[in-house]
Amino acid sequence: MTNLAEAPAQAAAAPPTHRADAGAPRISVGRVLAWVVLILFILITLFPFYWMLRTALSNNRTLFAHSSSWLPVDFTWGAFKRVLGLSSFAEAQAEGGSGGSIQFWLYLRNSIIVSTAITVGQVFFSALAAYAFARLRWPGRDKVFFLFLCALMVPPIFTMLPNFVLVKDLGLLNTFPGIVAPYFFMTPFAVFFLRQFFLGVNREIEEAAMLDGAGHLTLFFRIILPLSSAPITTLGILTFINAWNEYFWPSLVGQEENVRVLTVALSIFKSQTPQGTPDWAGLMAGTLVAAVPVILLFLAFGRRIVNSIQFSGIK
Amino acid sequence: MNRNMRLLAGLALIPFVVTACGGGSGDSESGGAAKGTVNYWLWDANQQPVYEKCATDFHAKNPAITVKVTQKGWDDYWSGITTGMVSGTAPDVFTDHLAKFPDYMNKKQILPLDEFIEKDKIDTTIYEDGLAELWVGNDGKRYGLPKDWDTIALFYNKKLTDAAGLTPEQMGALAWNPTDGGTYEKAIAHLTVDKNGKRGDEAGFDKTKVKTYGLWMEGSGTGPGQTQWSMYTATTDWQFTDKNPWGTKYNYADPKFVETIKWWKGLADKGYMPSFKAQKGAQWSDQLAAGNVAMATNGSWMIGAVFGTKGITPAVAPTPIGPNGKRASMFNGLSDSIYAGTKNKTAAWEWVKYLASPACQDVVADAAVVFPAIKTSVPIAEAKFKEKNIDVSAFTVHLKDKTTFLFPITDHGADVEAIMQPAMDAAMTGTVDAAALVAANNQVNALFAQ
Amino acid sequence: MAVEASPPLHRASMRGGRREAGVALLFLSPALLGFLVFFLWPTLRGFYLSLTEYSLLQPPEFIGLGNYQELVKDPQFWNSLKVTLEYVFINIGLQTTLALGLAVLLHRLTASTLLRGVVLLPYLIANVVVALLWYWMADYNLGVLNQVLGWLHISPIAFFGDSNLAIPTIAFVNVWRHLGYTALLIFAGLQTIPKDVYEAASMDGATEWQTFRRITMPLLRPVLFLVLMLTVIGSWQIFDTVAVTTRGGPVNATRVIQYYIYDRAFTRYDFGYASALSVVLFFILAGVAFAQFRLMRADESDLG
Repeated sequence: MTNLAEAPAQAAAAPPTHRADAGAPRISVGRVLAWVVLILFILITLFPFYWMLRTALSNNRTLFAHSSSWLPVDFTWGAFKRVLGLSSFAEAQAEGGSGGSIQFWLYLRNSIIVSTAITVGQVFFSALAAYAFARLRWPGRDKVFFLFLCALMVPPIFTMLPNFVLVKDLGLLNTFPGIVAPYFFMTPFAVFFLRQFFLGVNREIEEAAMLDGAGHLTLFFRIILPLSSAPITTLGILTFINAWNEYFWPSLVGQEENVRVLTVALSIFKSQTPQGTPDWAGLMAGTLVAAVPVILLFLAFGRRIVNSIQFSGIK
Repeated sequence: MNRNMRLLAGLALIPFVVTACGGGSGDSESGGAAKGTVNYWLWDANQQPVYEKCATDFHAKNPAITVKVTQKGWDDYWSGITTGMVSGTAPDVFTDHLAKFPDYMNKKQILPLDEFIEKDKIDTTIYEDGLAELWVGNDGKRYGLPKDWDTIALFYNKKLTDAAGLTPEQMGALAWNPTDGGTYEKAIAHLTVDKNGKRGDEAGFDKTKVKTYGLWMEGSGTGPGQTQWSMYTATTDWQFTDKNPWGTKYNYADPKFVETIKWWKGLADKGYMPSFKAQKGAQWSDQLAAGNVAMATNGSWMIGAVFGTKGITPAVAPTPIGPNGKRASMFNGLSDSIYAGTKNKTAAWEWVKYLASPACQDVVADAAVVFPAIKTSVPIAEAKFKEKNIDVSAFTVHLKDKTTFLFPITDHGADVEAIMQPAMDAAMTGTVDAAALVAANNQVNALFAQ
Repeated sequence: MAVEASPPLHRASMRGGRREAGVALLFLSPALLGFLVFFLWPTLRGFYLSLTEYSLLQPPEFIGLGNYQELVKDPQFWNSLKVTLEYVFINIGLQTTLALGLAVLLHRLTASTLLRGVVLLPYLIANVVVALLWYWMADYNLGVLNQVLGWLHISPIAFFGDSNLAIPTIAFVNVWRHLGYTALLIFAGLQTIPKDVYEAASMDGATEWQTFRRITMPLLRPVLFLVLMLTVIGSWQIFDTVAVTTRGGPVNATRVIQYYIYDRAFTRYDFGYASALSVVLFFILAGVAFAQFRLMRADESDLG
């Protein structure tokens, strides 16, 4: 390998104008090789998405008769219509699809409500807790923190049933608060993640503010939060993605249509009978459609996350 | 903090099942007229519209009762039922399965229906023979009324049998034995084609490069082998258990059973059937559609999926005739059961009664998705299938000839399954080892000795 | 860099300790509420249930350490532990290595946000769907992967059906989903390494490999620790992918511990025993985390 190091990362952004470094031509072999590997990564990442799209635009009835086709089989928008609740039972059946009724926009709204509530609550409360763990001194702090971390290791089977019974006893079955509750106040991951960043925030600013008589609430809202906006956005997006994809819990707690979320509604495309086969086209179309809002979110905040996560706080 | 911990630990000792115990206790409103909402669950999305229609008709006749139909896919369905039972929120009425019902009965989660049946003078002989008895527990009480039934047949791709020169008549007259496989194995071999176009019974057939298998293997069949091997073993007069239902001794160590499994596994070794590892993946019906296989044994619930496939010419033949000169098919069915914790027993019963009556089953028959349990409704379904150009006689022949046998209903169903699944998988992955099956059988029977 | 001297004690810390405890409680209370109600309480309950025979549908019956005695002799338990361990090693090994490679490539080759976004795409798809999709694409008879292998004159591979390949395949599927996510975390760490360090290295004529070994790796270690901390525990909890593809088979080749727990609890209504399995798993994970924590501490002077 030649010395790639001579080409700083930014050079790639503006390939025509080489920096004054010597040896740009010498670099090419290693660089080309590196690009080949990167492109291979990208291809392996993207190919399944192509396969999803190809399947989503296929007709289930003929899909397997042409399983080796790399193009949509018997091209149809039928699967997307099924997902958006635009096709009748008969139409769905004619294409080998699942015939459940889907009120797409209602379920989309529910998903947005649930995911937004979880994201806002979890990130905010976890940030408060992380501040207490990172910036405040109190007896037993590290022990409590380790206890919080232990929650990461609690097998889900422990929490599911008691939480379900609790939500039921509180009369919250089939309500948004019931679906949101277990994720609303904290997750160990969120606390852990934010604590790492808060540890890294420069103490001098804080101490200066303290000398000016600022309290911890002021410090938290005026200094820590703004300085950590990048990791908080990152965590927010990750939380949103996870909440968006959450399936098992909402399927238990949020049966009713007025609170049913998209993942639960779209599970109609998975196999319904013990030996049945999924509505492949519907499942893939549903997955792609359900991913759109998250992709939009990512487009809106992506640059911010990707470019500005600063791990200065890892200590 | 230590004190708090102790307090919490103390609280933890109070189990939360208090709510779950509500089920068996007295029902204050059982005397009143039936009214209110009945929650009803089923798992098959294809049947949901039919049962929604039943619910609407029912509501028209009983305006005081509203039925809410909820559909959940198989896995979610059972975890939902269990969670519901634990928390006292299970649906009032739900579609029950033979593999699950003994557990629910033993744990007193479903209601015996005898009192209601007696009071309303329900005739349990209107159902196809044997179906109603499937749901009688080992306490002699009845826990469900039958809603539908299924049998096993041989699905095949007529394009491929035509190309192989096999007529539908020949396909309907195949005979099987565990020694050389009979005409059945000959047909399977002939239908198998390798990448070079050589058939399984031709010289030079390359069993490592099979393009189209003669017969599909849908897993090892685990304990019941419903669609995999039970239609063979039953024709050797082998029985799952000492008696059925409610046997206490399984017969997986019987040489007749071992011999049959050896023959079946032999098909894979010869390349006529995919090996265990090669069959893991997409469903058999998809493999049939893709032309990767010519025939597959499976149940009547798959009619809709197979005949809806384009690109192949699906057809059905009855399962082969065995050493005892008869065909055989497992006869299975579903029922509707009432959750013991329901707050509305009388309304729940009215709905179960309606589901099990001709009024609803004729509607089910008319949809031609499954076969209804009531004898007089079956011809409606047959006629409807015929309208769709589907000949279902391969499934109904078992009822006419009385060649059905029942799913093995015993206690410890899930534990038996947990032992037999790896045991049968192992038999189908490696070699069929009689000693291993004997060991598994001993383990199974030990469950009943406790 | 990240290693910053331990912050000096606050001037007010002697008196402030008590005062800050009150503030801390205020900050902590919402999270603490969630923690106590939705994590700690169920966990303590689970510990208790592990000492009972509990069929879920009937009240639990105290049997002391009976479940644990059975567990020690249960070959399925030991097998599930072995299988899970195998999965964790392959999954974490592959994922960390590939993510590191991908992060370095992204860091050294391009500043494109688009590319960084693309690698995160698989993370947007739900676990279960990812598993189903790969299960189908890797099918022995009609999967597109074996079709491609066919073009290369390689005979079909039973990715999920072969007991030796099933766990590596499942591990790969999950690497596919989490690779971009892990790579971005590492990438973020790479960005904190000052550029002049690299410039100095290249002045000294260091090769790319030397730069990687002598500069990137040591400076990246804290980030790698964090990433490992988060991924290892998640990896032990593998369940979804198995549940929708191999369901524990062939034979017992993929019966990972979470799947075994689920099977015992919900298929066989043996919740007491399943709780005992969960308790054991909990302690294993706590042990792993504690070890990692210690290592991290040893490496970094002022963690927490």
